[in-house]
Amino acid sequence: MSALKKSTLTEPELILALQQKDPAVLKTIYSMYSSALYGVISRIITHTELAEDVLQETFVKIWQSAAHYDQTKGRLFTWMMNIARNLSIDKLRSKDFKNSLKNQDIENNVSFVDEQNKVTFNPDVLGVKQLVSNLKPDLQAVLDLVYYKGFTHVEAAEKLNLPLGTVKTRIRMAIIELRRSFN
Amino acid sequence: MSVENLKAYIESGVLELYVLGDLSPEEAAQVEEMAALHPEVRTELASIEEAMEQYAIQNAVDPSANVETKLLDVLGLNPEEEKIKIPVAAEEPKIIQLDTNNSKIKTLRYALVACVALLVVSIAALFVTYNKLTAAHNEIVSLNIDKQKFASNASKMEFENAGLENMIAMHDSKEWATIKLQGVKTSPSSKMMVYWNKENKSVLINYAAMDLPKTDESHEYQLWALVNGKPVSLGVFGSDDRAKEALVKMQTIEEAQAFAVTIEPMGGSINPTMEKMLVMGGV
Repeated sequence: MSALKKSTLTEPELILALQQKDPAVLKTIYSMYSSALYGVISRIITHTELAEDVLQETFVKIWQSAAHYDQTKGRLFTWMMNIARNLSIDKLRSKDFKNSLKNQDIENNVSFVDEQNKVTFNPDVLGVKQLVSNLKPDLQAVLDLVYYKGFTHVEAAEKLNLPLGTVKTRIRMAIIELRRSFN
Repeated sequence: MSVENLKAYIESGVLELYVLGDLSPEEAAQVEEMAALHPEVRTELASIEEAMEQYAIQNAVDPSANVETKLLDVLGLNPEEEKIKIPVAAEEPKIIQLDTNNSKIKTLRYALVACVALLVVSIAALFVTYNKLTAAHNEIVSLNIDKQKFASNASKMEFENAGLENMIAMHDSKEWATIKLQGVKTSPSSKMMVYWNKENKSVLINYAAMDLPKTDESHEYQLWALVNGKPVSLGVFGSDDRAKEALVKMQTIEEAQAFAVTIEPMGGSINPTMEKMLVMGGV
């Protein structure tokens, strides 16, 4: 759970280099953000091999669509994180993923179990717990659904049988809690 | 927009949903518009983004090292050394597989050669054994023939021995007169002995001391005694190879001046056939 590796480049310089497709910058971005992105991907997709495939796809997409990134609309990490989450959720809902769950062989099961023991598989219990232990369970439940399970806030409201407004409020409350804990 | 309205907008949670990517394109455009207009919205968005970024960093998980290698390979950005590494790693298991296959095939080939060699040796051994067996069989047959020869020799010698012993015994005794019958003109090499007992007048012939020409199936010998110039039959006898005893007792005769043997048809004749006389001898 390392913090971001510091780069000598500032974020605007990094973005410029990325948009100019400087090969060296990809390695820099990868070393800076791959663990943080993989942390999210691997919680959405617990199958190690598939999660790593998605991480690769994420960086391919970052590399190929860097030109579409607009700094005025948000931070670079937010943009990359949304690519990672969208690809993860797409994978989770794809036929490939459903088949791979049915056809998991012994080898995969071993790494699957290892992964469960080593890191965090179930976002309801393990992974998020370390960070948001002071987050109230009802706040955490909503954030987990939206952040780690690919639910829209509308779907989360249906799932939790809560009014849409309540779900929105709880998401905001959860993030405010997080902001406090980081400051 | 009033300060109260702006606060309500910020607190509605729509900015969080924007950062989480959970808004429709129209809603997202609206947020961007608001951010462009109001620094408070921009500040709030930046805080939310930073919080989510920290949240992700705190929960970071290191992927395995080969993801980066694969990624650089997919994008065609990998350094030369990794280009070399990958094909080697890909080929290695193939080589191992071929090796194991080869050694298996080699082993099987050796086994096949060994089997063929064993088969050839077995066939050769079988052939040699068969030849030896045939030779042994032939030897047994020839030994059996030899054995039969020896057996018949032994019985013949026994037969002759008995005749000779008897002859010696009669020669020593005073009762017996030995008459030598010599071959006549028709068969000069023939000879035989007749033993005549002076006491009881019995007559014996001895095959052991007999040498007469062979007769055919339908003829046999007939012994005659000449009594005052007249031939008297003393009985018939077969050639020596048909005889069962060495000594054969003939008919008795009171008186005789000579003995003779002729060849007569089976069963004998009343009068001797003079031209077929073989031997003759006086008392």
